[in-house]
Amino acid sequence: MNTKLKVSEISKIYPGCVANDKVSLEFGSGKIYALLGENGAGKSTLVKILSGVVKPDEGQVFLNNESIKLNSPLDAKKNNIGMVFQHFNLFETLSVFENLSIDSDKKNEDLRVLVNDILKKYNFKIELDIPVLNLSAGQKQKVEIIRCLIRNPKVLIMDEPTSVLTEQETDDLFISLKQFSKDGILIIYITHKLKEVLSLCDEVAVMRKGKVVSVSNTIDEKIESLANKMVGENINTIKKKINNFKNSKEILKISNLNFKSDDPYETNLNNLNLSLKKGECLGIAGISGNGQNELFQILSGEIITEGTSIMFRNKEIGKLNPRERREYLMAFSPEDRISQAAVPELKIYENVALNNFKSSNFFEKGLVNEKKIKEHSKKILSNFSVNTDNVELKSQFLSGGNLQKLIIGRELITSPELLVCFNPTWGLDVGAINYIHETLIQINEQGKSSILISTDNDELLKLSDRICVIYKGKLSKIMNADTVTAEKLGILMGGGSID
Amino acid sequence: MEVQLIKIEKRNDVSRSIYFLTPVLAIFLTLFGGGIIFYILGFNPIEALKFFFITPISDLYGLSELLVKATPLCLIAIGLSFCFKSNNWNIGAEGQLIFGGIVGGGVALLFYNHDGFYVLPIIILSGAIGGILFAMIPAILKTYFNTNEILVSLMLVYVAKLLLDYLVVGPWSNPEGFNFPETRQFSESARMPILFGGLRIHAGIFITLITVFLTWLILYKTYLGFQIKVSGLSLKTAKYAGYKGKTMIIIVFMISGACAGLAGVGEITGPIGQLHRNISPDYGFTAIIVAFLGRLNPVGIIFASLIVALTYLGAETAQIFLQVPKYTGQVFQGMILFFLLGSDYLLFFKIKFLGLKKNEL
Repeated sequence: MNTKLKVSEISKIYPGCVANDKVSLEFGSGKIYALLGENGAGKSTLVKILSGVVKPDEGQVFLNNESIKLNSPLDAKKNNIGMVFQHFNLFETLSVFENLSIDSDKKNEDLRVLVNDILKKYNFKIELDIPVLNLSAGQKQKVEIIRCLIRNPKVLIMDEPTSVLTEQETDDLFISLKQFSKDGILIIYITHKLKEVLSLCDEVAVMRKGKVVSVSNTIDEKIESLANKMVGENINTIKKKINNFKNSKEILKISNLNFKSDDPYETNLNNLNLSLKKGECLGIAGISGNGQNELFQILSGEIITEGTSIMFRNKEIGKLNPRERREYLMAFSPEDRISQAAVPELKIYENVALNNFKSSNFFEKGLVNEKKIKEHSKKILSNFSVNTDNVELKSQFLSGGNLQKLIIGRELITSPELLVCFNPTWGLDVGAINYIHETLIQINEQGKSSILISTDNDELLKLSDRICVIYKGKLSKIMNADTVTAEKLGILMGGGSID
Repeated sequence: MEVQLIKIEKRNDVSRSIYFLTPVLAIFLTLFGGGIIFYILGFNPIEALKFFFITPISDLYGLSELLVKATPLCLIAIGLSFCFKSNNWNIGAEGQLIFGGIVGGGVALLFYNHDGFYVLPIIILSGAIGGILFAMIPAILKTYFNTNEILVSLMLVYVAKLLLDYLVVGPWSNPEGFNFPETRQFSESARMPILFGGLRIHAGIFITLITVFLTWLILYKTYLGFQIKVSGLSLKTAKYAGYKGKTMIIIVFMISGACAGLAGVGEITGPIGQLHRNISPDYGFTAIIVAFLGRLNPVGIIFASLIVALTYLGAETAQIFLQVPKYTGQVFQGMILFFLLGSDYLLFFKIKFLGLKKNEL
C-alpha cells in the first residue's frame, strides 16, 4: 500500500494572526515525518486541518492525488486519517474495550478479535476489561493508538505524544511507530523536542510564523541547526557553570516531612528530606502527578505542616502561610500561571499587588495605595522586559511568555533569598524560555537560591546544581547535576533505581 | 434522522458597558413578559403595566412607600454583595433579618417603659448583633466543618421564622392583646424617627445610605476589599497569595448578617412598630435578586432596589385595581431573575450551530 498525502497552498487566517500562510508539503508512506515548530508556529492549525477540526480558508488536501474535503473529524476518519491528540479523549470509568467500541461500527465479537490481533502484532500489553483510569499515561496513549489502528489508517498523526511519557515509554512508542511505518502507515509526528526528531524521524519540516521554512532529511541535521531554523536566529545555548557549595551556608532544610491528603486525587508525601545552600539551584524532576503539586504547596505554605519540619534561614516556617513566608524572603512561582499565579480578569497592577510585603506599603493602614502599586508594577514591566508598559491592562491579554515574565518579575523584584518555581517555562516559546532560564541562572549568581520543580529534563539539567527525582511522593537521593544524565533521570522517574 | 449540532463556547472579552446594560435589558424583557401575562389574563397590557409600575409612584405618598420598601432591600443586598463577591453563598439573609428583628424587638420590649435618646441606638445595635450571631452559624460550620453554607443558611431561615412565631404567640405576646399573635407596640423612643409628617419614610434610609457608602469604600479602596475581589475571582490565587480564607468567610458573613439584622430592626422600629409573625415580606430572599440585578455594585444595587421595591408596590395596586393576587409581584421578581440569568448566560457564552448531521444511531 502506497500512500501519498499532499497539502497544497493551505492558508488559515485567524483575527489578528496568520496561522498558516500558503503551506505546501508532501508526505509519502514508509517514512516518519516530523513537523517541528515553536508554540504558535502553525503546526497545530495544520494538523487540525488534516483531521477535519478546522476548515482552511484556502488550499487543498490531496490523498493519493485525489482532492479530499475534510469538513469534520468524521471526514478524516472516512479517508483513513487517524489522529492521536496530546490530551486523551477517553472515558476514564469505562473499560478499555468499551472505549474502543464506542466509535466503532463493528460487532463487539469481531472488534475483540481485531483488537487482540493488533495487541499481538505490536506486542502491546493492555488488559481490555479494566477501567481506563487504572492505566498509566503510556497505556492510555496506546488505547488511543489502537482506536486509530482499528480503522486501518493510511495516515497517523501524533500531536506531541511524549509530553506525558517516561523515557522508557517514549522508547516503546518509538519502536511501535517505526513498526507502523514499516507496515505502510504514513506517520506525521508533531513536536518541539529536537532530540526526538533526530532519533525517530526521516524527514523534518520546520514551521515558523505560519510558514514552512525548511524541509530536509534528518540525517543532514543537528540539534543546533534545527533549533536555529525553528527560532530563526542564532540562539546561544546557555549552560550553567556548576558550582561547588561545600562552604556555603545552608538556607533551607526539610526534615522527615510527611503529608497525608484527605483527597484521593492528591499524592501523599513520605518522609521528605532535603537541604539547600545559598546560591544553589536544586532541581526536582518527575512525571507530573507524582507529588510535585503537593511539594510546591508545602514549600509555599498553601499546605501548612509542623513548624519544625521546614527550617528557612534558621527559622521554623512550617506553620506560616504564603504571605508570612514572603516576609521571610521566600518567593513562589506556581505551575498554573493563568489561574493561580495571576487572575486573568485583574489588571496587571492588581496582579502585582498579590505579592504583598509589609515593607512594600501597597496597603497602608488597610487602604489600597494605588499609586505605589502602579509605580512598582511599571518597574517590573521594564526590568523584566514585559512587552507592555500599560499597568491597567488586564493580564488575560498578555501572552504566556509575557505573563510568566510578569510573575517571575513580581516574585524577584523584592530580592528574595529563595525562589521556588514549578514548571516555569511550560508552554512558552523558545525566546521566553531562554529569558526565564537566564533570569534563573542570574539569581543563583547573585547568591540567591532556587528550587526548580520541573517535568522538563533538559531544563533541569541545564539549570540545576543538584537534582533529585520525585516518584509517588518520595524523593530520590539528591545527585550532583554533572553526574546526572537524561537516561538516569528517566529510569528514576519511571520508578526504577540506579546505583 | 437529522439533528442540529450545537456547541456552547465561552466568550473571552465581555465589554463592561454591556455587562451593566444587561440588567436593563432583563427589566425590559420582564415588562414584556408581564404584558403577555396580563394579556392572557384578559387585561389591556399597557393599562395593566401602568397600574403596576406608574400608578404606585405617581404621588408623594407612593414615592415614600417606594423608599420604605427599597430601604431594607438595598441594605440586605449590599451586605450580601460582600458574600457573593467572595464566593460565599449566604442564602439565609431572611433568617438573619428575622433574628435581628427578634433580638432588636426583645430589647425594645425590655425598654418598654423607658424614654431617652439612648434607647433606639441600643435597639439598632442589638439588631445588628442578632443578625451577626445568626450569620455566624453557617460561617463557623463552613470554616470548621466544611458544611455547605447554602443549605445551612437557607434552613436556618425556617428556624428563625418558627422562633419568631413561638415568641409572638407565647412568651412575648401582648398581655392586653386579646391573644393576637403580636407583641406590645414599642414605645415612642424605640421607633425610627419619621422624616416627613404623614409619610412612612423613616431614618432607616440613612443607615442604608451610609452602609452603601462604606461598602463602596471597603470594596474598592481597602485591602479587605481587594482580598474579597481576588477570592471571588480565584480561590486558588487567594490561597497562593496567603489570604486567610477562614477569617474572610467569617468577616463577610458578619457584614451581611449585620446588614440583614439592621434591615430587620429597621422594619420593626420603623413602619411596623412591634413584632408579629410577618415582619418581612421575604425581603431577605428578594434581596438576592437585588444584589445580582445591581451587579454586586453599590450604585447598581441602589437602582436595583428601587426597581424591585416597585414590584412590591405594583402588586398592591394591581390587587386593588385589577383584582389580581398580590403574588403577581413575586412573579415579576421571578421574571427579572430569570431574564437576568438568561441574558447573562448569552453574555458569557455563545451558542454555535454546527449544522445538520445525520444521526447514525
